[in-house]
Amino acid sequence: MSSLTVLVIDDELQIRSALRNALGAPIRLSDVSTPADVAGDGATDATATVRVLEASSGREGIDLAAAEAPALIILDLGLPDTSGLDVCREVRRWSSVPILVLSARHADTEKVALLDAGADDYLTKPFSTIELMARVRAQLRRARTPATRPNDALVLTGDLAIDLRRRRVERAGTLLHLTPTEWLLLRALVTHPSHTMTHQQLFRAVWGSGSGDAQQYLRVYVGHLRRKIEMDPVRPRFIHTEPGVGYRFELAPRTAAPLAVDGLT
Amino acid sequence: MSPTAVPGDARTPRRADARWVPWVAWFAGLIVVTLLLLLVRARLDKAHVALVFLLVVLGGSAGGGRGLGISLAVAAFLSFNFFFLRPYLTLVVADPLDWLVLAAFLITSVVAAQLLFRATSTTEAAMQRAAEVDRLATLGAETLNLTRPEDALRAILGVIRATLGVTAVTACEVFVQESGGGFVLAARSPGDAPEGRDASHAALGAARAVVSPSAPPPASTDATDAAGLVGWIFRYDRGAVELADGTVRIVDDPAQEAARASRDNELRSLSIPLLVRGETVGVLRVFASRDLVLTYEQARFLDALAYYAALGVERGRLVAEAERAESERRLEALRGALLTAVSHDLRTPLTTIKAIAHEIVEGGPRERARIIEDESDRLDSLVGDLLDLSRIQSGAVHAALEVNTADDLIGAALQRAEVLLRPRRVDIEVPDDDLLTGRFDLTNALRAFVNLIENACRYSPPTSPITIRAERAGGRLRISVLDRGPGVPLEEQDRIFEPFYRPRGTAPDVRGTGLGLSIARGLAMAQGGAVEFEPRQGGGSVFSLLLPAADGGMPFELEAEADALFDA
Repeated sequence: MSSLTVLVIDDELQIRSALRNALGAPIRLSDVSTPADVAGDGATDATATVRVLEASSGREGIDLAAAEAPALIILDLGLPDTSGLDVCREVRRWSSVPILVLSARHADTEKVALLDAGADDYLTKPFSTIELMARVRAQLRRARTPATRPNDALVLTGDLAIDLRRRRVERAGTLLHLTPTEWLLLRALVTHPSHTMTHQQLFRAVWGSGSGDAQQYLRVYVGHLRRKIEMDPVRPRFIHTEPGVGYRFELAPRTAAPLAVDGLT
Repeated sequence: MSPTAVPGDARTPRRADARWVPWVAWFAGLIVVTLLLLLVRARLDKAHVALVFLLVVLGGSAGGGRGLGISLAVAAFLSFNFFFLRPYLTLVVADPLDWLVLAAFLITSVVAAQLLFRATSTTEAAMQRAAEVDRLATLGAETLNLTRPEDALRAILGVIRATLGVTAVTACEVFVQESGGGFVLAARSPGDAPEGRDASHAALGAARAVVSPSAPPPASTDATDAAGLVGWIFRYDRGAVELADGTVRIVDDPAQEAARASRDNELRSLSIPLLVRGETVGVLRVFASRDLVLTYEQARFLDALAYYAALGVERGRLVAEAERAESERRLEALRGALLTAVSHDLRTPLTTIKAIAHEIVEGGPRERARIIEDESDRLDSLVGDLLDLSRIQSGAVHAALEVNTADDLIGAALQRAEVLLRPRRVDIEVPDDDLLTGRFDLTNALRAFVNLIENACRYSPPTSPITIRAERAGGRLRISVLDRGPGVPLEEQDRIFEPFYRPRGTAPDVRGTGLGLSIARGLAMAQGGAVEFEPRQGGGSVFSLLLPAADGGMPFELEAEADALFDA
């Protein structure tokens, strides 16, 4: 059994102690919901014990993150000395450690700013322990697999087969016709599975750094894309809406054989 | 036409162009009549000739005005003398008695032309006055009937501009005093071109420009900044006429003074205090171009219009006051309800939590901790509701209006209300072939819509089906929740959107603060939407969230792109 370090940055003693208790039990890193196709060879049945480090201020948190190189940082937004955003930016300058943000309600813009600054996920207070642990596991697991798939990868999820190299998408064996924008959007989402992409990040992935009229229609493009790849666009299996923040692509267990995609057996 | 031309001409160029037409016609007529008379000269008496010419002169003055009448009289006089008094074809008059005839003819024609002119102009003035009265009556009715006082003011300003000439007046504005003491632009005449105004005006003209009331009173010979002027007029209830050379005249009757001054000076602006019961409630400012020459009649009319503007301002003030009183009353009621909520709804779960925590500390069963979790959730949702309510009540809802899809809204709502909806059948009716888009704030719309779903779940049998339907309704998106609950009695339909309202006879185990619908409506209205209730056919309720639809989908180039599909 390996050992992992999780850094908790929160000024509230009660929250820190609650998190310490929740993280106390050993964490199983492999999870059934990740299909082997995508999780790749990184997934093992490893279980890890967790060492929890606590910091009660942003400054202290940054120092600990630099000194201890934790496997995950849980960061509270309301810190006494610096803003969570500054901590996130500072850490991102030299580390790609997963950062899970804890935020209050009605803080959509803050959440978005943090995700744009490189945070990986967020949880809204108050949250349940079950939810917290699911997110922690997801982040730890994702840190072990490369976030961006190489361009020649083939993503198989549910009844979809997405050939990133040849720019082909099939649903239940039928080739789908996507517009160039829809394709870029799908690629951006699919290459960051289980990761909330902010609107800004998606804009950049699809339209580059420039801004234009097209950007305000991002959600419309997602709507069209959903209607092509989802069975039921209001109960999506792949592209999930994070209201006020962005979109998240979830991989689903394989349900259709990739018959029509040649080169794959 | 040159700017220094007779101002009447400058303002009515089209009439000036047509002015020569009656002159040519009547002089031609005179020539024809003369020729006809010449044909039968031998059989004519002097009296016949004089009478026929007199007819021509009278006709001319009726049709072409005094100037034409008198000119025709002189021409007829000459023609009479030249052609019809012996010796013919000279202006020599042989018979001294003929001089008498000629003089009598000339005097009669000139006096007749003069009298006719006066009668005509009196009629015209009467008609003009009738038109003014008519316009004032219409305006009066408008001032009283338009729902928004600003619209009434704008209508009055529009009439002022139309009356004085659209080119002669560059802008009309009404300033009112704010509760804080500053002055703000309350209305501006419709269709103003902002360009070509002087700097002080531009600074003042910026919408809701606040003007300091403490500026010193303007010296009567200096160019004064308009800002100080408005404040000064408010304080001293007097008007001002500003000339193009920068002189400002402070007067009691600015319209009449402007009429006087515009005879030989170029006006820049005039400012008229809007008085109601002797108190200045606003300032009307009329900005002139060099074309403006005010007649005394127009000045009088302007004064009358200013009175209507004063009534309009006063009405706006009264409406605002009434609204303030109403919102204060509602705030008071809300404060009471809030206190009840905080003391009861917050304390109940807290009491439970405290009691059970104590039980567990004393060695009670640990499963009881589950109740603490439930009660905490209840507290959380209540705190969330109270926060939302206070944001709505204080107008602090920040709505980021963006193009969003109904799919996103419904999908996210279904996810958020998943636990509640799990025991039921949920039917979704969304058009397959039409991606419904709206311009709204997804976070707030979602919260509103989830509240509608929660409401439907709470007040309908736990296993009855719920339908969610999205459709386009005119310029709006209508997203509805249809339940098979008991519906809402007619007499309670107005009250269901009030904060803390709960239907009579609600079972005590139906949890909820009575804030859901009121929050939903507040959040919808903050982004130009609405929440509506209607009874459902066959029993139950339909609650609809209405949101502004996005205009017709994607812009052209994006649709063009949609055609460029991939081909592998």
